[in-house]
Amino acid sequence: MTDIVERTSPIYTPTVIEEIQDKASLGRYRIRGFGTLRSKPLPSLDDLTFLPASLTRIPLEGYRERCITKTILGTKHPEKPVELDIPVMITGMSYGALSRNAKTALAKGAALVGASTTSGDGGMLEAEREHSKTMIVEVLPSRYGYNVHHLRRADAVELTIGQGAKPGTGGLLLGSKISTEIAGIRELPAGVDQRSPARHPDFLGPDDMIIKIEELREATEWKVPIFVKIGATRTFDDVKLAVKCGADVVVVDGMEGGTAASPELLQDHTGIPTLAAIVEARRGLEDVGAFGQVQLIAAGGIRSGVDVAKALALGADACYIGTSALIALNCNAPIYLEDYTALGTRPGHCHHCHTGRCPVGITTQDPALMARLPIDEAAERVASFLLAMTLEVQMIARACGKANVHDLDPEDMRALTMEAAAITRIPLVGTNWYPGQERSSS
Amino acid sequence: MAATAAVVDRARLDTRETNRAIRAAVAQGQSVKVVNPGANHNIGVALQGPVTLTVDGSAGYYCAGMNDGVTIEITGSAGWGVAEGMLSGLVVVRGNAGNSAAASIRGGTVIVHGDCAARAGTGMKGGLLLVGGSVGYMTGFMMQRGAIVICGDAGEALADSMYEGRIFIAGNVASLGNDAVEAEITPEDEKILVDGFKTSGIARPKRLRKIVAGRKLWNFHKHELAFWREAL
Repeated sequence: MTDIVERTSPIYTPTVIEEIQDKASLGRYRIRGFGTLRSKPLPSLDDLTFLPASLTRIPLEGYRERCITKTILGTKHPEKPVELDIPVMITGMSYGALSRNAKTALAKGAALVGASTTSGDGGMLEAEREHSKTMIVEVLPSRYGYNVHHLRRADAVELTIGQGAKPGTGGLLLGSKISTEIAGIRELPAGVDQRSPARHPDFLGPDDMIIKIEELREATEWKVPIFVKIGATRTFDDVKLAVKCGADVVVVDGMEGGTAASPELLQDHTGIPTLAAIVEARRGLEDVGAFGQVQLIAAGGIRSGVDVAKALALGADACYIGTSALIALNCNAPIYLEDYTALGTRPGHCHHCHTGRCPVGITTQDPALMARLPIDEAAERVASFLLAMTLEVQMIARACGKANVHDLDPEDMRALTMEAAAITRIPLVGTNWYPGQERSSS
Repeated sequence: MAATAAVVDRARLDTRETNRAIRAAVAQGQSVKVVNPGANHNIGVALQGPVTLTVDGSAGYYCAGMNDGVTIEITGSAGWGVAEGMLSGLVVVRGNAGNSAAASIRGGTVIVHGDCAARAGTGMKGGLLLVGGSVGYMTGFMMQRGAIVICGDAGEALADSMYEGRIFIAGNVASLGNDAVEAEITPEDEKILVDGFKTSGIARPKRLRKIVAGRKLWNFHKHELAFWREAL
């Protein structure tokens, strides 16, 4: 008997072989949900570490001293800025991509802890508005369910230019999830593969967008903030343009951002990581003198209060979460195992949001699957997760001697890798230096 | 225009003040006339109610945007996105319209007596856009529902990637867009046309062709690769 000797090509890995054979069968690019699954790690917030107080700083008592988390967004123009109890918000995920139960549970959970929700690329779900304390209504290129009366009930309007998982392209919802109800809301035929446009129907570049933002302000009578959301690519310049166009708040969504369906190549090979996006965004705001006046929301792969604390320290005012909120709902939970198996996956690995056969009732329009997500229980988990994240941010802030989570700053951190030091211009641990730093002549 | 119409002078007010004045009158059920519009942007945005607004001259971008139920007449020309996102009502442009006229409207009627520039009726989700003149490229792009009637000619890529919209055209078409095909005019279409021309007062051309989606782009089929190469 001959021994089997496995030698793996570094070029044609088993994953690459599977991908090629998949495409040979499909005749198109692969589409899936969740977010990037690329095996090569991205520079990330994990590449930073905090430097808590010791002798050079005085810490706050970690478990009891007051540490403010109140977050105010949109202070530049509107009568009513968004006021949140915590610096964590639920990002836009459409009703269609998510089930009614999931959207409602997110709204209820967020409201319990003073966070906000966002509508997504499918119009405003009435139940989400009803249960949200603070709701941001998006204006997207597709304009699905676009309704001025929804805008006028929004606590903020978000003009979405792109998203981190697939910048430069529109949304995607495969026919298996276009139920009769979803088709009706979006005014589409049931069962079509819905590929949203990438461009807005009534403006193209920044010069037009200035006028568009004024229109949104007129429609909402200048009462609420206008957010501009961009998929992180040329973030430094894009943020400056967003500010020029009149944004009160800029959202930058890094390439770790999730999606319910997107061409795989876009998730893995387009955009820049959230770490770099925040840094570029801050520089952009500083370059036009808007840092601190126009607020910054960071998004894309935010998983914990530690991630939030690092984003705040880098210059963000708040963070959006999407995928991690879904995981709190029950995404990838080890239940209904046979349905994971039927999808060809298992808990911890499922990224089959695009199929509409979500085993735990989150990314589906199937009533039987949706019933697996009891709204109030799921809302409680979301609220608990948001609370846990907030406690984590406070823990870091207090350890760094800060009585307000928004007082965290880059000096509170060091880079663990050369890449992170180069990207953030935060010194590498053990040095006072970052790559690219000019050395003094002395 | 009723004798009791409120007069708002755009030359004396900025955009915000102009719209406040218009809204105050509309809230009282009073019709409004905006004089000296000066092609300024965002005049008469997000109005609601069974009243009439006359813009006496030309308007800039997004005039009558997000309208719900108001009858709005622009006696001159309109800039980009006239009546964009409208839910219901009637918008009449006596002159020409810029890009993206009636973009993403969900209901109501937009009449343009002159020409429309590019992307007229893009992403329409309902309603009617009737154009007395010609339209630019990509008119009807990704139109989901509703109807566009074009009495003149159309630029390139007419009716590209449509869903259930329908386009009627009298003149020449520079080129059809992806998945656009000709179809027979039905009795349902005929009613839309009769009502539309009656509302507009524009003379109906002798012959109209109907363009709809071929539905080959609605779902991916790998056996139509040549078709999808340009679209997917």
